[in-house]
Amino acid sequence: MKGAINNKDIEGKPGFTGISGDRVFKVATIAALAVVVIFFVILLFSLFSYTSWNDFTSAILSSEILFAVRLSIITATLAAIFSMIIAIPAAYALSHSKFPGKSIVDSLLDLPIVLSPIAIGAALLIFFNTKVGSSINSNFNFVFAVPGIILAQVTIVVALAIRLLKSTLDSIDPRYEKVSRTLGYSKFQAFRSVTLPLAKNGLIAASILTWARAVGEFGATVTLAGAMAMKTETLPIAIFLSLSSADVQKAIAVILILVIVALIALLLIRKIAGRGPLI
Amino acid sequence: MIEIKNLSLHVGTFSLKDINLNINDKEYFVILGPTGAGKSLLIECIAGLYLVKRGEILVDKRDITRLPPEKRNIGYLPQDYVLFPFLDVRRNIAFGLKQCKLNKAEVCERTDNLCSLLGIASLSNRDVRSLSGGEKQRVAMARALAPSPNILLMDEPLSNLDVQTGKRLRLELRQLTKQLGITVVHVTHSQVEAEEIADRISIMNDGKLEQVGSPEEIFFYPVNEMVSDFIGSPNILDCQTYRPLGNGLAEVSSGGLRVVLAHGDSPVKRIALFPRDIYVSETQPPGPPQVNRFQGFISKIIQHGRLIRLHINVGGNTLQAEMPEDVFESMNLTVGKEVFVILKLRRIRVLDGTDRSS
Repeated sequence: MKGAINNKDIEGKPGFTGISGDRVFKVATIAALAVVVIFFVILLFSLFSYTSWNDFTSAILSSEILFAVRLSIITATLAAIFSMIIAIPAAYALSHSKFPGKSIVDSLLDLPIVLSPIAIGAALLIFFNTKVGSSINSNFNFVFAVPGIILAQVTIVVALAIRLLKSTLDSIDPRYEKVSRTLGYSKFQAFRSVTLPLAKNGLIAASILTWARAVGEFGATVTLAGAMAMKTETLPIAIFLSLSSADVQKAIAVILILVIVALIALLLIRKIAGRGPLI
Repeated sequence: MIEIKNLSLHVGTFSLKDINLNINDKEYFVILGPTGAGKSLLIECIAGLYLVKRGEILVDKRDITRLPPEKRNIGYLPQDYVLFPFLDVRRNIAFGLKQCKLNKAEVCERTDNLCSLLGIASLSNRDVRSLSGGEKQRVAMARALAPSPNILLMDEPLSNLDVQTGKRLRLELRQLTKQLGITVVHVTHSQVEAEEIADRISIMNDGKLEQVGSPEEIFFYPVNEMVSDFIGSPNILDCQTYRPLGNGLAEVSSGGLRVVLAHGDSPVKRIALFPRDIYVSETQPPGPPQVNRFQGFISKIIQHGRLIRLHINVGGNTLQAEMPEDVFESMNLTVGKEVFVILKLRRIRVLDGTDRSS
């Protein structure tokens, strides 16, 4: 009797059991996805509705925006190069070596990824006010200058680069290096001739993501290098300055440039990922 | 000659325990043992891929224990071959030659020679990922042989091949390495492979070498229970009479059994039969020939993992036969039951006269 009542109860709630339950679940999850997608599409279209083609082209061709594009490309490229130079050996150590405190190091590397960039920028700024920091700054001139942009970007993206490269290196069978050692290759030669070619796709993908993240970096950059028009004005800082001066047309032009940069980066990564692993 | 002296090594929870082993020049040496015995680890120590802290490894009296792998000139064929996927067949083979200070023409010539030696000249521009198991095996072999090593280490070189290819390559491997005059250390878990290919065999288990000897010594005179359990100790029958039948056949009698075997003219004193080479049937096998078929009764049934071992009393002798668990379950065998046993003629081995078991 009791069982019959329970059955009836369940049958009375078609949303939770049976084929109709499956359908409700599927619709609910797809609806959540649709809300997010529609939200982003509306955001993008609102940009277009606010501007005209003429306003857009004149804004994009203004000397200030061209400066910001050039500065962003140069600083992000240098930041990505420096980050990769440090990240490749660091990720290798994290992936292949055993040392005391490895798990602590591993967690520490997540900090710059999770922490607010402005906090990191502020920490950098405070560091350059210490004795050691100010003597470094007097030689290299980081604070409120272009090298500061690169340093801020590197600080933000290097941990990300290490994370990405570590997962690539983890996926490579260490026996490839072992075999090459028995074929006359030293540890470094084996790394260069075997591990790097095997990691090629991962390296390219990590470089693109690191570069794209550096292009978009704002919080740490603005805190360390400042927001000075035509001096430390990268693309995100240009958006900030344009909005501060209520120049919405210019802000929209820069936003669209950043959207295009991000889309190209993501498409490239998709394409590389589509090639699949070499092994 | 490879000499390993008192080698001990701990890797995680596993350890190699006080290994002492001499491998002669130009010998085909097989390390045989169950999975997880430490066989691969031992050859990786010889290759220099693990740093040995306790013990010594000498090659031709030279201590190589602290030498990095690239300075040892020891060829290594890893399990699954580990070919470089970003290089084609030719470049895989030439990979080690780049470190040999040869000019381009010499590298080309050596690669060509190896390709024709191993019969893979037609594959030379292929992507290694598209090769079959047997082809990969040959390419990996050519790659390992390219820098002309005096010693070749092979980790389960035939275990990922289908039975037919594996069988063919076994003979080829032995011929090729004998022709090149190199010392081979071959790791395997397959007894059949070890028996067919080895000059000498070492049985390894749980990080220790249990026994080293010729295939005959290992298979017919196991020194301890582990070895005899692993290889399945054979039935050894003393023969009272011997009669040549011609055509390479002979008849011997042992107790109440008359056994026909493939043998020449010399007298036979003892024969050996592995339990896996004895068929058991509940019913009289149909048709002629009636040789090597006997009636007996089961005196004992013992389970060894997934194998069932039967003790069958036949004409006053107790023969041990072995069958997989599923075959046993499909039959209706109980202690005391009458059964027929069939001895595989070609699998009956003649032991030489010396009695080493005593």
